[in-house]
Amino acid sequence: MQPRTLDRILNGRRSQPNQLIEVLQDIQEDRGYIPEAAMRDVAQELGVPLMEVYRVASFYKAFRLKPSGKNVLTVCMGTACHVRGARLVLDQATGQLGVNPGEVTRDGFFSIERVNCLGACALGPIVVENRSYRHHMTPGKLRTLIKDISRQKTKGARNANA
Amino acid sequence: MLQYVNVSIDGAIIHAIKGASVLDTAIEYGFCIPHLCHVPNLSDIGACRLCIVEHIVNGRANVTTSCTLHAEEGMVVQTNTDRVRNLRRNLAELLVAQAPNSRAIQDIAVRCGVRKVRYPFRNDDCVLCGRCVRACAEIWKAHAIGFVGRGKERHVDHPFSVRPKFCKQCDYCIQLCPMTITPCNGPMKPGKERFCGNCESQLIIAEETGGCSWCRLGEGFGCGRYAGSKAR
Amino acid sequence: MPTLSTFRKLDMLRARLREQRKSITKTVAICGGTGCQAACSRDVIDAVKKELSEQNFSEEVRLCVTGCHGFCEQGPVMVIEPGNTFYCHVTSDDAPEIVSRTVARGELVERLLYTDPVSGKKIQREAEIPFYMAQDRQLLSQNRMVDPCSIEDYIAAGGYSALTKVLKGISPGDVVSQIKASGLRGRGGGGFPTGRKWSECREAPGDEKYVICNADEGDPGAYMDRCVLEGNPHLVLEGMMIGAWAVGAKKGYIYVRNEYPLAVKHSRVAVKQARELGLLGDNILGSSFSFDVEIARGGGAFVCGESTALMASIEGQVGEPRPKDVHTVIDGLYHRPTTLNNVETWANVPAIILNGPAWFASKGTRGSTGTKILALTGRIKNTGLVEVDMGTTIKTVVYDIGGGGVNGNKIKAVQIGGPSGGCLPANKFTLPVDFDALIEAGSMVGSGSMVVMDEESCMVDVAKYFLTFLQDESCGKCVPCRLGIDRMLEIVTEITNGRGTPQQLDLLEELADTVSQTALCGLGKTAANPVLTTLRYFREEYEAHIKHKKCPARVCKALITYSIDAGKCTGCGVCRQGCMHKAISGKKKQAHVIDAALCEKCGICRSECKFDAVLVA
Repeated sequence: MQPRTLDRILNGRRSQPNQLIEVLQDIQEDRGYIPEAAMRDVAQELGVPLMEVYRVASFYKAFRLKPSGKNVLTVCMGTACHVRGARLVLDQATGQLGVNPGEVTRDGFFSIERVNCLGACALGPIVVENRSYRHHMTPGKLRTLIKDISRQKTKGARNANA
Repeated sequence: MLQYVNVSIDGAIIHAIKGASVLDTAIEYGFCIPHLCHVPNLSDIGACRLCIVEHIVNGRANVTTSCTLHAEEGMVVQTNTDRVRNLRRNLAELLVAQAPNSRAIQDIAVRCGVRKVRYPFRNDDCVLCGRCVRACAEIWKAHAIGFVGRGKERHVDHPFSVRPKFCKQCDYCIQLCPMTITPCNGPMKPGKERFCGNCESQLIIAEETGGCSWCRLGEGFGCGRYAGSKAR
Repeated sequence: MPTLSTFRKLDMLRARLREQRKSITKTVAICGGTGCQAACSRDVIDAVKKELSEQNFSEEVRLCVTGCHGFCEQGPVMVIEPGNTFYCHVTSDDAPEIVSRTVARGELVERLLYTDPVSGKKIQREAEIPFYMAQDRQLLSQNRMVDPCSIEDYIAAGGYSALTKVLKGISPGDVVSQIKASGLRGRGGGGFPTGRKWSECREAPGDEKYVICNADEGDPGAYMDRCVLEGNPHLVLEGMMIGAWAVGAKKGYIYVRNEYPLAVKHSRVAVKQARELGLLGDNILGSSFSFDVEIARGGGAFVCGESTALMASIEGQVGEPRPKDVHTVIDGLYHRPTTLNNVETWANVPAIILNGPAWFASKGTRGSTGTKILALTGRIKNTGLVEVDMGTTIKTVVYDIGGGGVNGNKIKAVQIGGPSGGCLPANKFTLPVDFDALIEAGSMVGSGSMVVMDEESCMVDVAKYFLTFLQDESCGKCVPCRLGIDRMLEIVTEITNGRGTPQQLDLLEELADTVSQTALCGLGKTAANPVLTTLRYFREEYEAHIKHKKCPARVCKALITYSIDAGKCTGCGVCRQGCMHKAISGKKKQAHVIDAALCEKCGICRSECKFDAVLVA
């Protein structure tokens, strides 16, 4: 983690144990996960036992302890989405990508996450793809979305090689 | 200056230290309230729920853990009603079905009145009582182990699963762990778990209700009465 | 803008803002809430802005980006005043026409008008849409005309006059009395009398006290708080200020769940703007009242909606609930007296102060006064946020407002109050939305989420769904919740797999009872409700699974088989291409066949077949 970024995140929060969650959230937003080294620095700077930092990071679902895929597909599994077939959408994602929720595909391009209700219930089933909310999702729409994103990957590779 | 209050436990008026937990008070005075996560001189978290009692307030009986209930003047508590005994039995049944591979857990189940286990056995090696975690944090302030994860994933671990250098291997965690007390007939292999409940020392425990009888369970496991008492 | 150091300065500012707005002839309000943004309302907003400027309307027409209106399924949503014209499913391509016809000449663009799904007619005015008509939108109506990122909008609309009234001449004790007299009860789930909570906190010993707004709306299917906080954060702030004055707090927190980034953003903007005007800080409006607010973000944990877990989270710790033998109004955040209330509860406070407690108490029932926002979702025609007087029957909400089941399906049950609530069958729809009435029926009003289920929902599967959810969200500290939910889920799963026995139903009930009596916190204590209510009202479905190994709703995978109706199948091959388990075979234009051995019963083929040729039995 860039020392300057961590510095910026810790500014005004040093020696304040109650800022632990806010600090971890800023790190998560910046890196997409919480690296071990960052946790050690945070423990030192905030005055919190390392065990406690690790404990908090592992308790809250917002924090990932491993890097996620380049494209994160978050499927909402709330009740309203559930009765509208969210299960089918999740099955499509896991079946098409070959990984379970919380895992990353071997090429590191995709990962799937489940979330328990995003609060956009009238538009369910919802899939969030890189901060963009896709509504009224069906397995077919998700199949197309995944294909489209994958195409960008090969396009990117082609451009890199060109 | 210690302040004293009068509390009623099972009808008996007890001279309790104000603010002391009802569980500590009861143990001190020889009432037997089963408990698992309580260790004298460590904080009480009310995790195992075995020490539940009925706290009578305004005519209503609230079920609450005696380890987190602090003595106040005029408090009325019942430790051994049918309701509480049934609840304890069901909780102990859950525990022994989850982690039968410990004599301490088996004895607790017998003490709480479990006769048969209606769930498929599992073979966990940790009941998440938290004794180890609290000892490490509160006695040594080392914080070398702690709870990690949430819900079903909750488990005890070192940071990043690596024993840190500041763990001095004092072994307090191991000494307090109920899972280190092996079942009488040896460790139970997966698939071969069962509910013991029929050896003589267990049956003696099972017969006693209410009063402390310095049972074998307490001796082996470090129940509050043994651990806190000067008499042995 | 200079700070408002006296009441008079606030009055003057309000008058000035209203004067400025007099020159505006029309307002175009476009919803910028999370739901509509998902449907690209940002593009619409940009397009309309561009059109207004190009067609020279920027001076007299106000474009107001509002918070959520609640009718999310129709989004992006737009309301044009005067005329109360309601447009739905607006796209950026419609912008030129909307401006040149409706804004300029008052002409309606027919295709954008709302079509009533029941009558089939087009309706122009928002107020005439049946969905809105049976509602009493005391709180939500304010979302329509206020830009949540503009404190000026809020002040011009009358905002902060309740605070002024309180600081000018209502003592803290009297504020508490008024809230007590109003009968306001917690809108987050517990339904605890708010006045009593404030009173106990006020009387608790200590100089340092806190007020907290619980915006950790974790109930799946609930988004009322998101709407109110995203759309009108100042309303919530004002309520908190009045509460802080009443209990003697100088610091407040708004705890917003992580999954609501827009609500976090709008709350931060609101706090910043309030600070800039001196409405937060020392000696507010020249009075003796000093108060400031901080925004805290959740970490993605449903359990943090529980008050002690929420407070632990603000303290930077894991969200593990603590025993509440001593209430949090006495021993709360940092062990200080704390008043924690839900977003909707706080939002109700200003109006009670302005209109008086009798006005509030005149709505609803004796035990449940005022209005309640409900999130009506699921298998129903009109989904969205609904605000009704307490005491309105479920039947009215589901049929008159909701328009009945989707596709004309018969409605079987309504899940009220999230995972802590329960499922009520159709024959109980005469029950009113009332705290005590629903508790008696084994459910609860809870947060106000109402998920409608029809014959295609299996109630045993619903119980399994909620147990899975709660197992996922349990903190894991106490035995009854951690092990009890796990074992309940084990039993219910066996039942859905056709391996249940009648004895297991008895065990399930006994275990549910034990968990509800011994769990440490509300999550565990109410975890058994989905099981208990479905057992109470839908026992025949459990018995069908156990005795006949059948799932009447044809949902439970182990008890159903998928096949293709050769008569209807056109051989288009869509199912075969979509099947990820290679279980479907067939030649083009010939009837396809499903291999039951390979079929995983995911249901994707059935959802994609345009000819209804996939059968489930």
